[in-house]
Amino acid sequence: MLGYIDKIKKISKRLLQESRVDMVIGFRKGTMPMMNEPCFIKNPDDVDTLVWDSHCGINLANYLTNRKEKIGIIAKGCDSRNIVTHIIENKISRDQLVIIGVPCKGMVDKRKVSSKIEEEIQDTSEKDSQIIVKTRAGETALDKAEVLQDNCLTCIHRNPAIYDELAADLVEEQKDIDRYEDTHTIEAMSSEEKWKYFEDLLAPCIRCYACKNACPLCYCPTCFVDESKPQWVGKSQDTTDIRTFHFLRAFHCAGRCTDCGACERACPVGINMRVFTKKLEKDCLDQFGWEAGLSLDDRPPLDTYRPDDPENFIK
Amino acid sequence: MSDWEPKIVSFLCNWCSYGAADLAGVSRMQYPPNIRVIRIPCAGRMSPKFALAALREGADAVWVSG
Amino acid sequence: MINFKLNGKKVQGEEGQYILQVAEKYDVEIPTLCHHKALEPAGMCRLCTVELFDGRRSRFVTACNYPIWKGMEVSTNTESVIQGRKLIVEMLLARCPEVPVIRKLADEYGIDQPRFKTEDDDCILCGLCTRICEKMGNSAITLTGRGIDMKVDTPFHIQTDVCLACGACASLCPTGHITLDRIKSLITKNENVKPIPSEYDMGLMGRKPVYVPYAQAVPNTPAIDRDFCVHFKTGGCQICTEFCGVDAIDHKMEDEIIELDVGSIILAPGFESFDPSKFDSYNYANHPNVITSMEMERILSASGPSEGHLVRQSDHKEPKKIAWFQCVGSRDMNRCDNSYCSSVCCMYAIKEAVIAKEHAGDDLDCTIFYMDMRTHGKDFERFYDNAKEQGIRFIRSRVHTIDPVSGSDDLSVRYVTEDGKLDTESFDMIVLSIGLQTSPETIELAGKLGVELTPGNFCKTDTFEPVETSKKGIYVCGAFQGPKDIPQSVVDASAAASAAGEILSEARNTKTKIAEVIPETNVIGDRPRIGVFVCRCGINIAGVVDVPSVAEYAAELPYVEYTTDNLYSCSQDTQETMTQIIKQKNLNRVVVAACTPKTHEPLFQETLINAGLNKYLFEMCNIRNHDSWVHKNDPDLATEKARDLVRMAVSKVALMQPLKEAELEVNQTAIVIGGGISGMTSARSLANQGFETHLIEKGNQLGGQAVNIFKTAAGDDVQKKLNALVKEVDNNKKINVHLNSEITQVEGFVGNFKSTLKADDKEETIEYGIAVIATGASSYKPTEYSYGKDQRILTSLELDRKFIEKDKSLKNISSAVFIQCVGSREPDRPYCSRVCCTHSIDNALELKKMNPDMNIYILYRDIRTYGEREYIYREAREKGIIFIRYSLDQKPELSLNKDRIIINATDHILGRPVEIEADLVTLASAIIPNKGEALARFFKVPINDDGFFVEKHAKLGPSEFATDGVFLCGLAHYPKPIDESVSQGRAAASRAVTLLARKNIFTSGTIAATAPMHCSSCGVCVSICPYSAPSFTEEGPFTGKAEINPLLCKGCGLCVASCRSGAIHLNGFDNDQIFEQIFNVM
Repeated sequence: MLGYIDKIKKISKRLLQESRVDMVIGFRKGTMPMMNEPCFIKNPDDVDTLVWDSHCGINLANYLTNRKEKIGIIAKGCDSRNIVTHIIENKISRDQLVIIGVPCKGMVDKRKVSSKIEEEIQDTSEKDSQIIVKTRAGETALDKAEVLQDNCLTCIHRNPAIYDELAADLVEEQKDIDRYEDTHTIEAMSSEEKWKYFEDLLAPCIRCYACKNACPLCYCPTCFVDESKPQWVGKSQDTTDIRTFHFLRAFHCAGRCTDCGACERACPVGINMRVFTKKLEKDCLDQFGWEAGLSLDDRPPLDTYRPDDPENFIK
Repeated sequence: MSDWEPKIVSFLCNWCSYGAADLAGVSRMQYPPNIRVIRIPCAGRMSPKFALAALREGADAVWVSG
Repeated sequence: MINFKLNGKKVQGEEGQYILQVAEKYDVEIPTLCHHKALEPAGMCRLCTVELFDGRRSRFVTACNYPIWKGMEVSTNTESVIQGRKLIVEMLLARCPEVPVIRKLADEYGIDQPRFKTEDDDCILCGLCTRICEKMGNSAITLTGRGIDMKVDTPFHIQTDVCLACGACASLCPTGHITLDRIKSLITKNENVKPIPSEYDMGLMGRKPVYVPYAQAVPNTPAIDRDFCVHFKTGGCQICTEFCGVDAIDHKMEDEIIELDVGSIILAPGFESFDPSKFDSYNYANHPNVITSMEMERILSASGPSEGHLVRQSDHKEPKKIAWFQCVGSRDMNRCDNSYCSSVCCMYAIKEAVIAKEHAGDDLDCTIFYMDMRTHGKDFERFYDNAKEQGIRFIRSRVHTIDPVSGSDDLSVRYVTEDGKLDTESFDMIVLSIGLQTSPETIELAGKLGVELTPGNFCKTDTFEPVETSKKGIYVCGAFQGPKDIPQSVVDASAAASAAGEILSEARNTKTKIAEVIPETNVIGDRPRIGVFVCRCGINIAGVVDVPSVAEYAAELPYVEYTTDNLYSCSQDTQETMTQIIKQKNLNRVVVAACTPKTHEPLFQETLINAGLNKYLFEMCNIRNHDSWVHKNDPDLATEKARDLVRMAVSKVALMQPLKEAELEVNQTAIVIGGGISGMTSARSLANQGFETHLIEKGNQLGGQAVNIFKTAAGDDVQKKLNALVKEVDNNKKINVHLNSEITQVEGFVGNFKSTLKADDKEETIEYGIAVIATGASSYKPTEYSYGKDQRILTSLELDRKFIEKDKSLKNISSAVFIQCVGSREPDRPYCSRVCCTHSIDNALELKKMNPDMNIYILYRDIRTYGEREYIYREAREKGIIFIRYSLDQKPELSLNKDRIIINATDHILGRPVEIEADLVTLASAIIPNKGEALARFFKVPINDDGFFVEKHAKLGPSEFATDGVFLCGLAHYPKPIDESVSQGRAAASRAVTLLARKNIFTSGTIAATAPMHCSSCGVCVSICPYSAPSFTEEGPFTGKAEINPLLCKGCGLCVASCRSGAIHLNGFDNDQIFEQIFNVM
């Protein structure tokens, strides 16, 4: 994956030079280790700022909402699927975009890395399938597969669903993985166990809304959490209000979520709120054979009205 | 807990289930008085937010029919 | 008013009342066994004994018949009263130890065993029976004997003909001493002692002499059955008048003759179902487990005798095996005279079997014995296929006898299977699929009107005028026109209305009255002033719910300015009072707590309008259907629920806003797309009713498929009649015929469509208010049976062409073969083309007429000559046409051998292969719909998997679409013969005229609207709306944001619930309103 960056820079430079785009949205090195940050490159001379490694987990589709310019955008599998959703939902038009597809091999979860290293991490680098972590004490090599984001472990759409340029050859998709193992586990729980599970899951939530702000699907002019007439959800730290917020956020993502992991990644207290969206993702797959962001022609199942919708849930 | 009675908030579609509840009355079918009906113009009007709000307000169950 | 004390509290009663009546009013319970509101009290059981203090001393009196007086002090629960009652109960228990009601009382008073010697009587001599008998005006029974010999009896203990067996005594008897059996064996000479059979429940349940025929009856007011009401026999009773709160009962009412001056008559007398009692061998009259299909309908119904629980009649056991017998009273010249097919029974039997399995579970064994399975209706064949998949057995056999299995309630049948074996099988229940027939009353009516009948006693009509009787101006629809199912009856009904409308079009709007418009008060910005009207609905609500306390409670709720309770809120006088109150109290929101808004909301909204209020400032809450009627035994909780419901309604109504109903002018022009029979009929009907009509045909001539048809089964010369119709259409000044034309674009919506019409290379724009789609269908070109390889292998229409052209060579044919279901009822095309059986048989008969020696074979799967078409099937067999059945997995094989056509099939009777050499092979090829995708897109109407358009409602809306202003007829809907196409053409016109006849249409106020500031333009609403109401704004500051067309919006709220941004509001059911209801549930 390290080799991608030269191609990315080359393509970006060309696009900017030829004025095919007004800017390129990509990543640059962040101020903290393992925290690459999005950047907007408008000058072809600045393309060297761009980086690409296993710390580019942020979903760049988020930065396309209601943009008016022509944009070149670096897109992993999940980003590309969210770009598709953005186009379907009129957040950006296809002809504004030049999508630079990046076949992805998974992004690193910095929490997993930190948990394996006792000292403060100063820097990291990548070599083959290893992450080399540098601390004051020296270097430690970690197997990348062990520190991947959870969503990347079960990802079967690593290649971009839609692209105009490619930064590398397509990669082989993961096969024979149980994408919904965790969902099955929760589904199998008794009501009491579920209650306990979700109670524990959401207990640390401080309602900072980082999850929704990181999510490319959340773009309404006024979010339901901010509305007062009617007040969909209370503003307090009351557990009911916290749950209401998470449930509704998840419902709003039903049939649209690509499991990019932006929400979990953004959460400062480490809540895995993906269990909600994954359940809905699984239901959409089971009931409608639907996966979000794979086609520009079809709207998500919950956006369509069909008299012959499956109604097996009606007894 | 033996005399505990659940409170059920039901959202009934005006065209089918609400009419069916009317007919249950016409037929004098007896059922426990634990439900409170909110008439909606179509089950499609039902929003998860209503269900959550009802539960938050203390309902023990929410029943959507349409 | 008389004031006295009851249990120490001051109470009031009226002069002449008894203590018990006043106690009841104040909810003071006094037990009694011999009291009934309708009867004079008698003080027989003494259980109501209370203690009376008259100022000087105490004594015991019976509360039921002791009149109240001023200053008395009554105690109902003192120790001595209770001890006294206990003794009475103990004595009653000694007399009647087995009677439940006494046992219950004994338990209440803590008596285990009486101290007295016990007897085994079950009569407590309360005298309710004798008193009610007297009240009935009969006095057939009385208390005879004295002392310990006293008993209820007839004079001299002889059965009497004074007793009418009305059953009043049995219905009042508290102990079960008097029963219908006892009346029969000891009291009456009358033979007929049984409950009055409920007509609606097919006699499976009883009903009262005062009754509402069924729950949804219109009008829903009770009627008194003179044949059973005792008053009309004895002059007694009239208890109903005493109880009716509004004095609505008048026993003196007489039948009236009302003369109406009308321009047209439509006959819709329906049918009666065949009575299978006369089939001795089926044992219907003798065995409770042999029932008719109509009885089965009631048993399966949730409102039926067993509330939808499937049980058999003899022992109420759940059946494990049920059989249906088809063609009972149909297709039968042997045991009855109904030689026609009743058309509907195959389908309803399958439906009943499927529902029976739904109710009783998959283990239920359902078997249908049939002759030909006739599922020729739209989507019926699929239903049949699914039923087979669900394990319903279909046995092609007509069973002769049903034998009771001795020693059980089961039934045994012997039948011959298809391969000729004799089989015996027993069933728990057998359902006779009875046919339809015209009732003697209808035949008499037809005679009086001078309307001719068919051999089957149906109304005689012409193929091209299927709703016109032989008498001008008299039209017919429904099963009197011929046995038919619901959709076809609905089509007929609209067609008959249209036919009447055509001859009466000049009289339209001549008897219209215009209502006075009351100016609307502006309430916007005013603080809510809510009036709450709580209805007693006689005793319907007040009998369970404490109505005054609900009204009192409502008065305390926020913004409520006025509350009251009404006896009947819907009565004329109450409506006027409400109007006055709204004005006087300056109310600006109204809540009526009464029955269901589904029936009564419009009425109360009218009251608001009359009081100058916008009709949407109203909310109804349903404390009858959803409360008092369903919680009869729980008055306290029912009252609590009523309070909750009122609170919820008040909270919602406070947030209601006046809503506008957009008005739209209707363009009074119609277009009909498709110039076939149905399209032309539709256009003619629209034009004859006064509306300018464009008839658009893509081909170069009118006539559609009928151009290819020789004659109808009824013998009509199709070409002659078709030419007459084309001429009529051509000459009609209001019809503009556009040949070689196609619609290439459609804009707008109901009342205001605009289309581009392309003819050759010219384009023109037409504007119109409604559209009828009649795009028709065509004949399937077979790929099977060597079609196209030999000139002697034709489709049915190609044979017709030869007939039309009077092809002489047909006479010389010595062997003709018809092969049915070519392309129909196949996995790829799982529908029946409906017309082919009749068509082939008719053509076979025509060939036979040309050359009686011709050998004719019809290879078929099921012969579907429904209705009176059955006659030609019989005629064909009589004339020697040979019918050979084949199955889907064993189709006939056709081979060409030099110049010989050889057909190999298996004879279904002999089970042997047969080889037929044919000079002519006619393939009954399927009807396949013309491509309608473009029109479907233009008009936003759906197409099914088979390519036919999908109507609004399969049963009740067959000739219209869910999209307003777009209608449907002819083969584009489903394959059908000419008469049905004509009917549907007229029906579509009829439905269209309901719109066109109104110059303006109003939208509903309860529709969705967007708040563009909140809209995120995501397009969910645009995508999800089934009615295409939302779209993106194209200009102005909110370009790109969603907006909703109020004319297309049906107010379902799908978009509102789907809008993540909360940008859509549903007027009348808005989020804040529903939330307020939720907040007020608890």
